[in-house]
Amino acid sequence: MSVTDNLPTNQIVYLRPKGGRVLIPEVILASIAPYVQNSWNKPEAGGVIMGRYIKDCEDIVVDKITLPMLGDKSGRFSFFRNKKSHQKVIDHEWEASNYTCTYLGGWHTHPEPVPTPSFVDKNDWKRNMKQDFFDSNCLFFMIVGTAEIRLWEGNKHKNSLTALNRI
Amino acid sequence: MADIQKYFTKFHEAIKLKRFEENSTLVEKRDIILNKLAAGLKKNFEDKDESVPKYNWFNQGSYEMGTGIKPINSDYDIDVGISFKIAKDDYSDPVDVKKWVYEALVGHTKRVEVRRPCVTVFYQKEGETEYHVDLAVYSDEECNSDGKKYLAKGKLNSSSNNKVWDHSEPCKLTNLINDHYSGDDHKQFVRVVRYLKRWKDNNFKIDGNAAPIGIGLTITSYDYYTPKKDLVDVFANKYNYNDLSALKNVVIRMISCFATYYDNGTSSERLKTYLPVEPRCDVFEKMTDNQMADFKKQLNALLDALNIAEDEVDPVAACESLQKIFGDDFPVPEKSDTAQKKGPAIITSSASA
Repeated sequence: MSVTDNLPTNQIVYLRPKGGRVLIPEVILASIAPYVQNSWNKPEAGGVIMGRYIKDCEDIVVDKITLPMLGDKSGRFSFFRNKKSHQKVIDHEWEASNYTCTYLGGWHTHPEPVPTPSFVDKNDWKRNMKQDFFDSNCLFFMIVGTAEIRLWEGNKHKNSLTALNRI
Repeated sequence: MADIQKYFTKFHEAIKLKRFEENSTLVEKRDIILNKLAAGLKKNFEDKDESVPKYNWFNQGSYEMGTGIKPINSDYDIDVGISFKIAKDDYSDPVDVKKWVYEALVGHTKRVEVRRPCVTVFYQKEGETEYHVDLAVYSDEECNSDGKKYLAKGKLNSSSNNKVWDHSEPCKLTNLINDHYSGDDHKQFVRVVRYLKRWKDNNFKIDGNAAPIGIGLTITSYDYYTPKKDLVDVFANKYNYNDLSALKNVVIRMISCFATYYDNGTSSERLKTYLPVEPRCDVFEKMTDNQMADFKKQLNALLDALNIAEDEVDPVAACESLQKIFGDDFPVPEKSDTAQKKGPAIITSSASA
């Protein structure tokens, strides 16, 4: 049995710091599963997260993610996401969903059981919050470890980052 | 939590059957039958040179309680009470009185039957029964020395011990149900009853006593319902009703009231619910032990679906869980209907490690 057998396959729900929840449905977890770095030859992978801000509450549902695409560069311990190809998917999903499936943040893998963001990760997330253009106050960052998937919520105005707990 | 209430509201609009005043076909059928009854009684009694019995009529049942739903695998029915101004003691055989009604109406449609609790007129269209009108026949309380109303029970060929006058309080029952709560709380109570009735139609076979009867579900709701609403504006005293929570509360209490009863060395687990008026019988008494076990199993499945819907973050998935248990009249929204519209997003490249 490898450590990845511990990775959740049912949906995951995280609690947001000021109420509301973030749902990562089963179908999203299934599309990430092949990229989990559970063997020495698997490179880091990543993409963007898209989904819905549910009406009349603070809940968020992740509906789409992008997978590594042409133009991305990945090594065992690094991943570079090219903006062009991922942007195309964001535009397409946003228009096809009557402007409700929106850019929520990014995800990438780590070759460690319980992932923690590196210095490079944190700097990148801060830069995303400043330089990306998006219609909300926050972005979400997901790191897929080999035993756990963790999620952070970044607040654009406070320039803060909070690790979210699972329900 | 996502706002599931609006989907319950849409579901309710889809299943509810409006009262007489609003439902012209049923009113029409009822009035035709009442006219036919008056004419038939007059003719039959005058032919015998006897005085025509006096009576009054009233609406009863789910229409009068405002708890009717559109049937999905049976026909529409209307319940009317016919209260004859006679003393029951003058008519030892109650079926004789039911025959007055039967003989006045027989031939009106292809099928008129004396059933145990009532006389039924069936309306058919292309061979299928489309409507039926149930006429319950009573001996009026004004004419009985004890001041009570009695229902005539029995079929044409019933043995004498199956022909009885049963003390009955149909109007008192209607009033109890209608006056239990008032205003918006009463409206939520009625919605909960209708949800349970559609759940019943969607999850039980229609033959025999496989399904808990509608009046039984109404009485259990009467016993267990409490209003569930969230205060959303203290100053305006505005509440948002939470039908999921109200229904769940009733279902939990129903499940917890199943008890084991012992009788002659055998035991059975049953939900006993008594009419709050005469004849104060157990409304589920006709269900067999196996049917009771299925009733409980289905209630647990309903509770599971309600729990999933309550916990679910995605309103689409919540409504899918409810549609499975309530049928296609429960709406499942498009994803885009459940979310806020957002402006465009432009991302930068990203490096992680």
